[in-house]
Amino acid sequence: MARQQITERVIETDVLVMGGGIGGCPAAAKAAEHGLNVTLVEKSKLERSGKAGQGLDEIGIFPRDGLTPLEAVRIYLGKSSVYDRGGTERVVNPRVLFKLFDNAMWALEELEKLGVNMKYINGEYGWMPWGFAAGGELGPKVELRVHWQNVKPEMAAGVRKRGINVIERTMVVDLLTHNGKVAGATAVNTRTGEFIVFKAKAVVIASGDLERHYNSPTPHFWKYKMGLNTCPAASSGDGQAVAYRAGAYLSCMEMMRPVTIRDIVLMQPGQLHLNDGIPAKVFTWKGDEISRPPGPLQFMELERQGLAPLYYSLEHLPDDFQKRLEVHIADETMLRLKMSQDRGFNPRTHRYQIVGDRAVRFNNTGIVIGDNLEALRGVYAVGECTDTYGIGAGGTAVAGFVVGENICNYVSGAGEPPLDKAQVEYQRQTALAPLAVKDGVEPLELECTIRNICEEYGGTFKSEGRLREGLKRLGSLKREFLPRLMAPNPHYLMRCLEVRNIMALAELHLQASLERKETRGLYIRLDCPQRDPSLDNRRVYQRMVNGQATIEMVDVPELSPDFVKEKK
Amino acid sequence: MESTPIKIDYRRCNGCRKCYELCPMDIFVLDKEMDMPLVAYEEECGFCGICWMECPKRAIDIVYPVSFW
Repeated sequence: MARQQITERVIETDVLVMGGGIGGCPAAAKAAEHGLNVTLVEKSKLERSGKAGQGLDEIGIFPRDGLTPLEAVRIYLGKSSVYDRGGTERVVNPRVLFKLFDNAMWALEELEKLGVNMKYINGEYGWMPWGFAAGGELGPKVELRVHWQNVKPEMAAGVRKRGINVIERTMVVDLLTHNGKVAGATAVNTRTGEFIVFKAKAVVIASGDLERHYNSPTPHFWKYKMGLNTCPAASSGDGQAVAYRAGAYLSCMEMMRPVTIRDIVLMQPGQLHLNDGIPAKVFTWKGDEISRPPGPLQFMELERQGLAPLYYSLEHLPDDFQKRLEVHIADETMLRLKMSQDRGFNPRTHRYQIVGDRAVRFNNTGIVIGDNLEALRGVYAVGECTDTYGIGAGGTAVAGFVVGENICNYVSGAGEPPLDKAQVEYQRQTALAPLAVKDGVEPLELECTIRNICEEYGGTFKSEGRLREGLKRLGSLKREFLPRLMAPNPHYLMRCLEVRNIMALAELHLQASLERKETRGLYIRLDCPQRDPSLDNRRVYQRMVNGQATIEMVDVPELSPDFVKEKK
Repeated sequence: MESTPIKIDYRRCNGCRKCYELCPMDIFVLDKEMDMPLVAYEEECGFCGICWMECPKRAIDIVYPVSFW
């Protein structure tokens, strides 16, 4: 059956969901429950795709235990410059945050209805007794400890049971539009090379964040360039790029989340410094205990004093906590346990070398969500490809359910999407062009060059001259080599299309960094070391208008009392 | 030269294709003659461990690459 559908040239649907991770699955499932015809396009295989493909150990943002959603928003916005969020106070739209916090407990029930195991031990929820969600700012007991090694198989089963048309190994090329409204998308099967046209009344983008414009946190000088800590298939920024090319606003593209990573070699995930409630101790190389450096500048200072490398030590953890930590890792990325063993690494006796000045460049910002923007109607976005800036897995799942619940209001009034044949033909030619190129450029080589340019001229410590030079180099790279990308088969065609997206977003990233002339939180411009108060509550918006890139600073909306009353 | 960090033990592999079906980076292909999975795009491996976790015959081993040492 599925096979037959794929051989159709045009697939008609009410809602097209791009990406089947922990945001896309809930959105698709919920929309289907409302009787809509839903098609889900997934680049990999639904059962193990996305950032939670190999598991997840905690999921948070459930305001409870006396914490109201409104308070949660205030706390989140008020303190968020302290930790790893790059000074986001009012960079995140508080209205979106409120909707997420307000719907979180409902989404928790919905997750269970979808067939996801939310219980921890003995059929009980594992409310974590310390604050970790949203950087620990929301206080304790808002986050669930979960055994989510099999969350994706569970979600996939729920999605398939609801009769959603799941199309796998297929990558969206671009969105189809008509008069400022979305009309569908075009896509390529990455195994057969078949070009597929989707006619859709609405599109939900749930494609994950952008990381591949930078080197992985532990840069690999040898050939394994995708050795990132989370799913590289979901970090090429496909959703942001197609939305941008179709005319949607992107925001906060200059922001990154330089998260301190536990171990330079293993990228140990899990509870990072908290270790199930007992913080790791931090030592200099000489063995002196110090407090945890909160950001890259402090790391740089310690480096300058000759105290690097710095180490996390877990030697003081009692035995049962060491065991608990192993369960954490098994829940999130089981392979790390094996890799630790392979390296002869034992946290009871060894120390993790931590990195803070050259860290994970999550760029989980992008597509602007909000009812006040009419840039491109019919496009919805959830999760890390949106401007919620690191709200995490919890926020992603909640957003998926909220969008799935409300999308039928839009779909019922959207009308039949017209198919613009010329637009389809243009997208087909652009997408399939690399298949005909001989003696051209390999996509991975071009990707590595983009990464090197971003590392060299962007990075954690930015300045105007470097950014301008980086943009110049990126521009010539784009002119010279993007048309010469070659793909001997559909698999490499997928990589070529990814590089096209990464290239577009890397450029936006440098342009946005040029626009924000200040240092704010962990967003660092060496040439503008002070925070600029006139940029408070303002963020960079980027949009393509008639083929021209535009950039402006826009006020972040207020959280008005009316909005809070209205709810959902 | 056999240097890939993803080692398939073909004496154990039962050809169930789970690794080929599930790999997020799609680095496996099916060898038509053997009807067995082959690692075709090893340089794209993301070290997520999904093939290793899911293999019902424990026929896949992921060896820590020297360049990560």
